[in-house]
Amino acid sequence: MCVMVLMSQIASARPVKMPERFESTLEKRVVECYRSEEMRDKLRKWREDNCRNSEQIVDVGEELISEHASKLGDDIWIIYEQVMIAALDCSRDDLALTCLQELRKQFPDSHRVKRLTGMRLEALERYDEANKHYDAILQDDPTNTAARKRKISILKAQGKSTEAIRELNEYLEQFVGDQEAWHELSELYINEHDYGKAAFCLEELMMINPHNHLYCEQYAEVKYTQGGLENLELSRKYFAQALRLNNRNMRALFGLYMSASHIAASPKVSAKVKKDNMKYAAWAATQINRAYKLAGRGTKENKCSMKTVEEMLESMQITMS
Amino acid sequence: MGEVELSCRAYVKMYLHACLFPRCSINGLLLSSSPTGGAVCVTDCVPLLHSHLPLAPITQLALTQVDVWCSQTQQRIVGYYQANACVSDNSPTPCALKIADKIAEQFDNAVLLMLDGSKMSPDYRVPPIVMYERKDSRWILKDKHTIMLRQWEETRAIASQMMESGDHTLLVDFDSHLDDITKDWTNQKLNTKIEELASPANGNI
Repeated sequence: MCVMVLMSQIASARPVKMPERFESTLEKRVVECYRSEEMRDKLRKWREDNCRNSEQIVDVGEELISEHASKLGDDIWIIYEQVMIAALDCSRDDLALTCLQELRKQFPDSHRVKRLTGMRLEALERYDEANKHYDAILQDDPTNTAARKRKISILKAQGKSTEAIRELNEYLEQFVGDQEAWHELSELYINEHDYGKAAFCLEELMMINPHNHLYCEQYAEVKYTQGGLENLELSRKYFAQALRLNNRNMRALFGLYMSASHIAASPKVSAKVKKDNMKYAAWAATQINRAYKLAGRGTKENKCSMKTVEEMLESMQITMS
Repeated sequence: MGEVELSCRAYVKMYLHACLFPRCSINGLLLSSSPTGGAVCVTDCVPLLHSHLPLAPITQLALTQVDVWCSQTQQRIVGYYQANACVSDNSPTPCALKIADKIAEQFDNAVLLMLDGSKMSPDYRVPPIVMYERKDSRWILKDKHTIMLRQWEETRAIASQMMESGDHTLLVDFDSHLDDITKDWTNQKLNTKIEELASPANGNI
């Protein structure tokens, strides 16, 4: 807004040559105003999208805080929090401590700030002290989900997967709709190669969020990994579902091709099932080739991927028939 | 067993892959363009995944595609590398052993390489790698003296320089390729950059 007012004033005034010093200060103020708005918007977008681009957040946030703090109003507190967490992620304890101290001054008894204190201790690998902070929060407020999740994160950081899984399961008995927690649990199970339980978590996620193509595709991948004809057929169905929700999901497209090909090549299936799956695989292959042709247009380096994929699809078709 | 030589290009790309995704477990394949027999020369690598390493479909897909590319470019898959998200634990995971086994089926002297995250601080002096070789169906630690990195100081300098100038963001792994298939998982641009930085006096990089 400040930019627009200045422009209209300049436009209506008679052209008068302003002293150079005045011009450059004006310019500087205009540029600064625009720049701090831009940085603020960036940080807001990253907050809303829950991005973990910590290096960028630290870059932008540090400048914003040190040079434009006065322009931020009440936003400054949430920005301190965002920058502090990003700073911990980049081992910038100096910056994290600065932000934390400002927050502590402003909100001395806050659980939210106490949690941030705990997170800093985690980053310094002082896990016992961090746990004390979280236990104190939970003593005061047993429903504080943030503190519980941090305790589980500590178990994960210490490599105690079994305990982390157990705690997360207990948490989910109480907070059944927590998507983030279900997803975290599915990842933990995948890393433990417990695919059945991972699939269960993803089923919960698909129920809560049926339009999310990523959950369908991950579920299909887990089923494919479990193996066996029944799981392969399920995986094909869910790869197809993921494609229906997002027809540009390449993993789903390749997954559909591979699962259909494997089913068609299995000696246990009927002639009809074989024929149907060869049709699905052929369709997927066409789509894949088309996608790569489109991608490869103009660039020399992508011709390489295109040729590789073509050959791969051909070779897999031979093993199928 | 035999000697293994790790080229500058292979090391730098592995290092940059780990730097690009410092919070994830990452893995990739080690390739060789040298003829078989004698020492195993790892001349290149293909970064594969940074998520869901134990899941089968994308790994199978990547292995097949890299195989095809290798036969088109006179290279072969000679090993596998992985870096765990948990920096304090650099032991091979079950999925690492599984993939390495598969590679060993096609190549007798296959190597399994684990990147040691705890040794990758800015002032590290020794290569932060642990290598395993196959003996009697098991993967055992390889004798350090059979692992060679020619011009280690130069390689280390190139890796640090590229990371500091943000070149690791240019690296494309198979996962990123699937997110955007216009990206090149063979990383030709990065290879060129590495070659430019390596001294011209250096023989086979």
